[in-house]
Amino acid sequence: MEHYDDENYHDGFDEQRSAVRMETRLWRRLFGYALRHGRDLWVLGGAGLLAAATETLYPLITKGVLDDIEANRAAANLWFWAACYLANTAAICLAVGGFIAGAGKIRAFVSHDIRAEAFANLQRLSFSFYDYRPVGWLMARMTADCERLSNIIAWGFMDFVWGSALMLGIGGAMLAIDWQLALLALAVLPVLYWVSVKFRRRILSSAREVRRANSRITGAYNEAIMGMHTSKAFVREDANLREFRGLTGRMFSASVTNLTLAAAYLPIVTTLASLAIGLVLLAGGMDVYQAPIAVGTLVAFMAYVRHFFDPVETMGHWFAEMQMAQASAERVLSLIDAKPEIADSASVRGALAAQRGVSPGRRVAPDGGAARVTEIAMRNVCFAYDPAQPVLKNINLEARAGETIALVGPTGGGKSTLVNLLCRFYEPTTGQVLIDGMDYRSRSLLWLQSNIAVVMQTAHVFSGPIMENIRYGRLDASDAETVEAAQVAGAHAFIEALPDGYATDVGEGGSRLSAGQKQLISFARAVLADPQILVMDEATSSVDTETELGIQEALARVLAGRIAFVIAHRLSTVRNATRILVVKEGEIVERGEHARLIAAQGHYATLYRQQSLHEATRRWGNAERRRAAASGSA
Amino acid sequence: MTQRQDLWAITRGQRRRYAIAVLAMALTNAFIFSSPLIGKYAIDVVHARDLAAGIPALADISLRLDAAAPHLPYLALSALATVLLTAVGGLCLYLRGRCTALASEAICLRLRETLFARLHHARAAFLDGADTGDLVQRCSSDVETVRVFLAADIVEVGRVVLLVWTMLPILFWLNVELAWLSISLMPFLVAGAWVFFAKVKSVFEVTDQSEGAMTAMLQENLTGIRVVRAFARQDYEIARFGESIRAFRDNHWRLSRLMGQYWAVADFFSIMQIGVVLIAGGFMVIDGRISVGDLFAFTTYIGIAIWPIRQLGRVLTDAGKAVVALRRIDHILATPEEPTAPVPALGRARGEIRVEHLQFAYAEGEPVLRDISLRIEPGETVGLVGPPGAGKSSFIRALLRLYPYQGGAIFLDGMNLADVNPQWLRRQFGVALQDAFLYSRSVADNLRVARGDAPLEDMVAATADAALHEAIMGFPKGYEALVGERGVTLSGGQRQRMALARALLRDPPVLVLDDSLSAVDTGTERRILDALERRRGRHTTIVVAHRLSTIAGADRIFVFDRGRLVQSGNHRTLALEPGPYRRLCHVQGALDAAIAADLRAGKAAG
Repeated sequence: MEHYDDENYHDGFDEQRSAVRMETRLWRRLFGYALRHGRDLWVLGGAGLLAAATETLYPLITKGVLDDIEANRAAANLWFWAACYLANTAAICLAVGGFIAGAGKIRAFVSHDIRAEAFANLQRLSFSFYDYRPVGWLMARMTADCERLSNIIAWGFMDFVWGSALMLGIGGAMLAIDWQLALLALAVLPVLYWVSVKFRRRILSSAREVRRANSRITGAYNEAIMGMHTSKAFVREDANLREFRGLTGRMFSASVTNLTLAAAYLPIVTTLASLAIGLVLLAGGMDVYQAPIAVGTLVAFMAYVRHFFDPVETMGHWFAEMQMAQASAERVLSLIDAKPEIADSASVRGALAAQRGVSPGRRVAPDGGAARVTEIAMRNVCFAYDPAQPVLKNINLEARAGETIALVGPTGGGKSTLVNLLCRFYEPTTGQVLIDGMDYRSRSLLWLQSNIAVVMQTAHVFSGPIMENIRYGRLDASDAETVEAAQVAGAHAFIEALPDGYATDVGEGGSRLSAGQKQLISFARAVLADPQILVMDEATSSVDTETELGIQEALARVLAGRIAFVIAHRLSTVRNATRILVVKEGEIVERGEHARLIAAQGHYATLYRQQSLHEATRRWGNAERRRAAASGSA
Repeated sequence: MTQRQDLWAITRGQRRRYAIAVLAMALTNAFIFSSPLIGKYAIDVVHARDLAAGIPALADISLRLDAAAPHLPYLALSALATVLLTAVGGLCLYLRGRCTALASEAICLRLRETLFARLHHARAAFLDGADTGDLVQRCSSDVETVRVFLAADIVEVGRVVLLVWTMLPILFWLNVELAWLSISLMPFLVAGAWVFFAKVKSVFEVTDQSEGAMTAMLQENLTGIRVVRAFARQDYEIARFGESIRAFRDNHWRLSRLMGQYWAVADFFSIMQIGVVLIAGGFMVIDGRISVGDLFAFTTYIGIAIWPIRQLGRVLTDAGKAVVALRRIDHILATPEEPTAPVPALGRARGEIRVEHLQFAYAEGEPVLRDISLRIEPGETVGLVGPPGAGKSSFIRALLRLYPYQGGAIFLDGMNLADVNPQWLRRQFGVALQDAFLYSRSVADNLRVARGDAPLEDMVAATADAALHEAIMGFPKGYEALVGERGVTLSGGQRQRMALARALLRDPPVLVLDDSLSAVDTGTERRILDALERRRGRHTTIVVAHRLSTIAGADRIFVFDRGRLVQSGNHRTLALEPGPYRRLCHVQGALDAAIAADLRAGKAAG
């Protein structure tokens, strides 16, 4: 697989901009996913509150012990305080267990829900969406981003509840005990918060620099592995290593900066905290000396001051993390929000709903239309990916059951686009595609695509056994039926010759198969699907002529009564087609059956002549004679 | 560097930095631990209302500053000392962080570069059947695990050890009995953590596996999305993915529950340790055996020390993870390098190839090439044909010595390849591999892979010969356009022609084209063949192809079938000889005849 590098890819979501302002709209929406698990959210919030409450109580217990001793000496009831301490500890442990399990659960469920929704939408989105989205980009959204966001939602929420409750609790307790001393200690607070947010942001953005360097390094490893043969063949070992040294150098300095910032942050926070403790010690000590407050109070205050900074720091962290993660949030939500450009219209959805529950007859499709396709036609179809560059201009064609339509012409002429329109992977910009006289937009998309099988130029096989790969064409096919399809497709012989036969794992992306073998497997898949409409887009280009001829013969049987569209460079594949369309620069420049087109002496005849072996040998022969003449005269 | 890597060995060269870090850490502890002591004496002074209970030196200074009310300067000095000690301790803490950062990053830098070099010098067979994702993970996540260990975990263990060592003397000095009580629960805490994390390792593994399975399924779905659509399998895919993410969710949740239970118990012990000190200390204060300040110092110390100790068990199990990660990395580092041999004196080969009784297999007992003997003259153009799996590409790989062959010999210019430096050998070749790899760099950089100093004219000449120049000029940035996901996505045919152009740019003694023209249309094929024809004689040329039109003009044609060389000769002789080539010719010949007839008929009609 090609390595995708998120940090170095520009997808239009601006990290810098979105890190500045807090977009509450995004977070409200994401929090909606947690709200679906309302009960767990209450438990989590409750655990956070309980933790804060118990933490507030500890210094009070300590104070109680000290004050009791101070006041009553030997009569002090320490066992009472021991019981308090024990009870408080039991409560805090309950809270800790509760929030770890609770936050873990919400995190797992929120990321699950986001993933499930995004995946379902990805399955609906049109090909045009995928044209601009690398697989790696999508993967990064569905894996790391989902985890990051659900982490913020679960733990951020919990820490927010805990942190604000603890600050309120401690602040309240301190003010209640001695409000002057409390205000003195809290004076350091704004400075601390400011330092915390500033530092956290710098740490996070240097962490981003590290991620960026890291993902370049991972990409380099990926290239080293995927491109091993090429690198060796071109003796690139030393050159690649030299370039890699540049990357590791960058990684080194970025990482050291990041770690150094983090190393500086903690001492600054503790020093600020000790400043507050020092103030308390000074002012409180003087107070104690002059007798209005007790040692217990002083000790409790010093403990409070130390603990008061934990939530400030934690909340500073989450605030910075949320700012940095906003771009991720936007990207993930964009997956869920993306509207498929091609989808069933309202009336089709209505028809589908009306048919639901009705047992599907042989003649009726799930959308209530006819199940059989007897004719497919294009009327004045134009298409452009980009309005400035029309790809297809005014295409008209029709194909009836039992007919094979061949599309020929130079690369880039629009043949693949034409079949993509037929399959409704894209829709015409203007004009119509008609199925038995009806615009295909008034039929169900899923029904149409279930009845078309497409064999593509770049054959894709899934990792896993060959048997399962072929069975993807018809999931309920038996092993025998699958093998039969492979026989028809001319794949059986080579599969049998593999050590594990049909059980052979083809490896990631079919890496253990040659290009020709992959094409045969993906062809077998289409044969097994037994579709009403078969589309073959240069499906056998990497197969030798003899194997290909075998396929041709088998195909003739398979295609009986079906509609077929075949794109091929090898005109032997094309000769017996019912009709041949020559597509050039987005237009059908010639059409008709083979003999007529030959007779017309146009583009087709030229293409055809180029393929004659005689022609090829004649050219080589001429060259040979030229060469001989040249060396003779020299 | 083939020696085994263990956690100690890889710190080589960075141990001085670690030593400084340990020293800084010791100083940090010393400073951090003095602060509660100062607090203790301040409290004792306040409590006893007597300067004699304080630190003598501070008391002296205080008396000198304000003899009338010396407790005020004493408190001010204590507060100042607390802040100063924390600040200086913080500085040491920073120094420790900086040193470990430099040390751990330097170690990882070396580890990364060693890995990268090893991947480049490993034998090609190393990757057969290897899972790319897994290898990349070893180089990235496993290195990261080791890094975290080196940067954080080692230091954390060191910190706890130093912490305990610094703390214990103070505690025992303050009060022996209470000191024993204040560490009574700690061993249970550490041992419990150790046992727990060893036990849940399997749960962690299962969770990681389910996450891996989910990622793999996602990857399969997204790379094959067009197949999913072509067969309208959306609902099937959604159901399958649903199962996968549910499994991950439930494992993750189970792990959270276990962690929740664990930390609840661990915290109970931790906090109770402080409680024991508080209550027992309280009784001792009543008995007059310790002062209130002592109690304050005890609770503060235990409060500082208990949390890192609580983490110790987890850190130790993480060290276990680092050991496993290093073992996985070592698997790559231990893979044997390609054998090297001296570079021959002659600079550039003439391109004469002789193959004698070549036997070749990727795996034992599954021969791919059997007893191949052939000879190719310098400047000759030969074609290789045969059905898929006949061994054509394997022959090319053996020729480049990407894989070692098991029997027979190959000679280039009379030199046995077994005795020749493989890098030198490959410099004699320009290869367009069937599964050509393009680097995610610019088009020009991808071409320069073949010849680093190639000027633009040469590149343009090569791409023009490969019928790719116009397509490149159509890219938004032309030759500077990035190839791959960040830039232009090339079609299958364009990738093939890039590989072809790269091979041509190299201008090598031996040019090898493995199925380089299958994805181009006949017009383009013709242009490329004409260009190759103009270069004829300049390189020894080996062409693997399926279309007879591509190879019919070759000087000689070798026909492969199931690993054997079954026929050789030129088109004219082979076409007459019974065998697979004639069958191919018959297929094509019948077509030819048909074409001729069609064309004649067409002319007659026209």
